[in-house]
Amino acid sequence: MIIETKNLHKTYTETEVEVKAVNGIDLSFEEGEFTAIVGPSGCGKTTFLNLLGGLDAPTSGSVSIDGTDISSLTSKQMIDFRLNNIGFVFQAYNLIPVLTAKENAEFIMQLQNRPKEERESRIAELFKAIGIEGKENIKPGRLSGGQQQRVAVARALASKPKFILADEPTANLDSKATAELLDIMHELNRQERITFIFATHDKRVIDRAERVITLEDGKVVSDIAGAQ
Amino acid sequence: MNLRIAWRNLWRNRKRTLITVSLIALSVSLAVFMRSFQEGSYAKMIENAIGNFTGYVQVHQKDYWGDRSIDNGIDVSDSLINTILSTKDVEGVNLRLESFALASHNVSTKGALIMGIVPKAGDEMLNIKSKIIKGDYITDSDKSIIIGSKLANFLDIDVSDTLVLLGQGHWGQSAVGAYSVKGIVKMPIATLDRRIIFMPLSLAQEYYSFPDGVTSIVVRFSDSNETRSITKELNSKLDTTMYRAIAWQDMSPEMVQQIESDRISGIFMLGILYMIIAFGVFGTVLMMTEERKKEYAVMISIGMQKTKLITISFYETIIMNLFGVIVGVLIAIPLVVYFHYYPIVMTGQAAKSIEKLGIEPVMPTILSSQIILNQVFVIISISLVAFIYPLTAIFKLNVIKAMKR
Repeated sequence: MIIETKNLHKTYTETEVEVKAVNGIDLSFEEGEFTAIVGPSGCGKTTFLNLLGGLDAPTSGSVSIDGTDISSLTSKQMIDFRLNNIGFVFQAYNLIPVLTAKENAEFIMQLQNRPKEERESRIAELFKAIGIEGKENIKPGRLSGGQQQRVAVARALASKPKFILADEPTANLDSKATAELLDIMHELNRQERITFIFATHDKRVIDRAERVITLEDGKVVSDIAGAQ
Repeated sequence: MNLRIAWRNLWRNRKRTLITVSLIALSVSLAVFMRSFQEGSYAKMIENAIGNFTGYVQVHQKDYWGDRSIDNGIDVSDSLINTILSTKDVEGVNLRLESFALASHNVSTKGALIMGIVPKAGDEMLNIKSKIIKGDYITDSDKSIIIGSKLANFLDIDVSDTLVLLGQGHWGQSAVGAYSVKGIVKMPIATLDRRIIFMPLSLAQEYYSFPDGVTSIVVRFSDSNETRSITKELNSKLDTTMYRAIAWQDMSPEMVQQIESDRISGIFMLGILYMIIAFGVFGTVLMMTEERKKEYAVMISIGMQKTKLITISFYETIIMNLFGVIVGVLIAIPLVVYFHYYPIVMTGQAAKSIEKLGIEPVMPTILSSQIILNQVFVIISISLVAFIYPLTAIFKLNVIKAMKR
């Protein structure tokens, strides 16, 4: 087990109406899982993912990763923890526009002060695996959506994190690009035993997931393993 | 990596960065140019009124400046002169014996300022020879005088005529003499031209019955910026129970005040200019920060510490401002150098009014690295103040909210 949530709650009180975005979730995720968290819009998928990634703090309950209760970490420690343990793939790719595809992909490794040779070989390996060789020196603005998302996946995978949180990674991609990206992620999941957790309502992702967790009103309503 | 990202970020919006850099460059060049002209004019004014007349430092009997009477004069000795000359950076001295007398010719009488000078040294400093409009300059052995043109006009006296002087000599002795006018000088300062009479120092000492006596020892040195330090050193070396060295700022406080008030008004104008720059810089920094909050949030979420983001933002602000300063200084320097060697020559009524004050009607710039450094300091300060915005914005950044932008 690498991730465990216990009685996890997140309540927003910023508006007059109290919103329980995550309402008592107890879940655990093992190494090498390929899991989809599904549910209608507003069911708490993204909030749950944010809590798993330490981007948001729970109102109550806990998230522990490899035995570390991440709510006990300071903001600075949490950023370092994310740097070394968690990869993120976003719906809008969120690449750094002033950096080339290669610079984006090796960005996290640079933050980790990994040696240049290691970075070069890892990025070359990943770019080959995700099929964007030859695009290394192109900036994100000149890449297609599918190519940008592949670079984003390479960025998330480059430092070999324990798990990757992907929030609607295929929402902006066409069917072909989605299928190719899922193939790549699944292959890397198998090869490198990296856990993938998707928040999605894309049927194409759900169909490829090995475990599907359905949320409604911030609660788990079903958790089906071996879904594929 | 931080520097590379900062540099590339600056050129994401090329037009905006170039507009901001141009604004800074234009303002810096204008500020350097304006300040160089302003300080150049002050330097010229000081050089004309002080350097070429009273001198930057004078040594007197300790009570002389409070009561400028011949009774508070000095008996010049070699040891006193040697003490002054042994002071660092001092190049020489000019001895003067100054007092007042009534000057009479025919039926006209007027109070006059008598200045006994060593003719050669006096001319080197006061440049009297070049101002003589009639007759000749005096020599050491002459028993004649040179008179200001306005005073000569009032007394209706001409070259070779005899002027009668009546005054009070040293320790109350009467001073009476009749001297031939050798030359008529037109002094640029009108008030001086109306009352000045130059005579050889030895003749003045004889007239005032004050052998070896002087009222002022003008200390000569080349760098006027050393005025205060030389005055201080002189006072530390002289017997202050008898003598006192005094700087021009203390001899002419009204000129210091005039320069200071003018300088303040110039700096106030620059302040307004810099306020405009500050708003321009702040606007750019604000836009650069606001439009990239989502990007900051992404970078933080993938593992970049806020301190690194702040470093990038700091580089962006400093690079943009320094770039503007460098361009501005590069524009200003050739102009400042040109107008230093080829100053603006004033003409017409403006020139006449300036000349009346005894100042050459030219406006040179001054070559001063301090003026440039001050502008760099101001722009860096503006950058640092503007940088407070991204600094606080990044520290307070709510990653979740920023990601939703």
